[in-house]
Amino acid sequence: MTTFKVGAPDTMVDVPFDPAMSSKDGHDVIVPMWKQRLKIFAHNKLAVASVIYLVLITGASFLVPWLHPTNQTNQALTFGSAWNAPPSLTHPLGTDSSGFDELGRIFYGGEYSLTLGFLAGFITIVIGTLYGMIAGFVGGFTDTVMMRTLDAFLSIPYLFLLISLITVFGRTTLFLILVIGFTLWWGNARIIRGDALLIRNLEYAQAATSMGASKWHIIRRHVFPNSISNIVTVATFSVADAILFLSALGFLGLGIQAPQTDWGTMLQAGAGQLANGFWWEVYPLAIVFILVVVSINYIGDALRDAFEVRLLER
Amino acid sequence: MFTYIIRRLGQALLVLVIVMFVTFSLPYFQNHGIYGPAFAILGTHANPTNVAHFGAQYGFNHPFFVRFWNYLVQVFFHFNLGHSYKQNNSVWGIIALYVPRTIWLALTSLVLTIIIAIPLGMVQATRRNTVFDYAATGTAFVLYAVPTFLLCLLALEAFSFRWPHLPASPPGGVAPWAIFTDPLGFLLPVACLTLATIAGLSRFMRGTVLEVMVQDYIRSARAKGCSSRRTLFRHAFRNALGPIITILGLSIPALLGGALIVESVFNYGGLGVQTVAAASSLDIPIILGITLLVSILTLLGNLMADIALGLVNPRIRIEGASR
Repeated sequence: MTTFKVGAPDTMVDVPFDPAMSSKDGHDVIVPMWKQRLKIFAHNKLAVASVIYLVLITGASFLVPWLHPTNQTNQALTFGSAWNAPPSLTHPLGTDSSGFDELGRIFYGGEYSLTLGFLAGFITIVIGTLYGMIAGFVGGFTDTVMMRTLDAFLSIPYLFLLISLITVFGRTTLFLILVIGFTLWWGNARIIRGDALLIRNLEYAQAATSMGASKWHIIRRHVFPNSISNIVTVATFSVADAILFLSALGFLGLGIQAPQTDWGTMLQAGAGQLANGFWWEVYPLAIVFILVVVSINYIGDALRDAFEVRLLER
Repeated sequence: MFTYIIRRLGQALLVLVIVMFVTFSLPYFQNHGIYGPAFAILGTHANPTNVAHFGAQYGFNHPFFVRFWNYLVQVFFHFNLGHSYKQNNSVWGIIALYVPRTIWLALTSLVLTIIIAIPLGMVQATRRNTVFDYAATGTAFVLYAVPTFLLCLLALEAFSFRWPHLPASPPGGVAPWAIFTDPLGFLLPVACLTLATIAGLSRFMRGTVLEVMVQDYIRSARAKGCSSRRTLFRHAFRNALGPIITILGLSIPALLGGALIVESVFNYGGLGVQTVAAASSLDIPIILGITLLVSILTLLGNLMADIALGLVNPRIRIEGASR
């Protein structure tokens, strides 16, 4: 069996050539593009591991009331062993300073951190794509105005803005999603706009224009499908950034309001207990958290490789 | 060049007004509207008479646009940022007290980032797919995933509590340049902010240098007999500088955001600590003043990045001047 190279120059991997993909008479069978992309992606073992890890953590976060039922609403009010208890059989990762079971709390907080991260990331990519596409495709004066406005947004110190926005709007889940989503789309819009600008001047888009296609049709049928690789990659990184941002807010005491919790709030509370030797309140969660962000970013990298048209088999 | 700078400064002024408009209108959306700070200062069950009095004192009873216009006039023509609701001091006084400390922290970290990240990116790009490259890329990946505050807290735990060699908090009440006279005292905050900044930038650095290294002119340089060192410094480095300068200019909001977190963890009296305190007590004039100041710093950073870009790349200078 022969092999051939796929991947970006720095992450080149050997992919075995599959004879089943060629027909008997030697002509190549056309393999659907998504299958080829999936193959490149699946060949990146670390990326597959990242996907599995993310699915496991997400699944556990939403199924934790059934998998490991613990009381995550009422904190222990009586002084005693319920607080900061070291790992035991009943509490595999001990309890935190309010008496909540740490293992259950990691996934309980994960439910909010992941939901917020994914939804906020989704908002940033939807707004960023629409804004970037319109600016890049319409061009001219509209583009200038939209890009200068974007420059204005990019010079807003966003953490400072986030703090004022959340102070003003409150810390409900919905507002946190909206506020993070509306604060992080600026960079995305810039990347997508660059793509739209590039595709607008390519022959097939020009040809469509000369055949009388409407601008909306060209955006929908030509610009969007051809920039989907960047959109998906940028979306992945946005989710990771949103999760990181939410954790920074949690640290500043602007995370989700009690009795709910998120990873940032938990890490902040737990890190304060390190000096007392209650390691179980930080390290397990820190590892889960860091691996989640690393996985998402790694999946983004692998997706970028999989979408690289130049690397597909021909 | 001169007209270009003037033009850019004009644009920056417009951007500033937009930023101010956004931050100025924010308090109107909160609970109790613009009277929110009155309740934050006087208490949740404040007497309506006192609230009205507080409002009249700070001009809450005027329409939005009148207030915004007055604020603009006050800021741009009288250089007066107003008076804090909570602290008995002018906003300008508070900023003048704390901003030098933040600037020294951020600048030192930025310089360290440049000194470390650019050579690192170049080494990674030239030794691509070696153990060193994988180790550096992996470290950057993990470092990027660690929230800045967690990095700080873990550093604090390790170097101030477990092996107590460094102070948990940098000395307060000293001159802002104490960062150089007492480097050990400031080592932890500076190191944490530098690591956080490098984590965000290193992948970009590596990618940029990598992109330059596969260009035709690098191959030509090698082909005509240029030594690899000369190729790296005379051909690759100079061409990689452009994108790096741009990203450094754009990274200023992130740098200041990181400084905010680092300051909060190490209780380093700077703008970050003030912002968090002002936000929690709805001290609007301070939030407005700090946002304005940080925006000015960001815009100046972007402008300086663009000018530097013109200096390292003559093609851009001509284009920029005629724009």
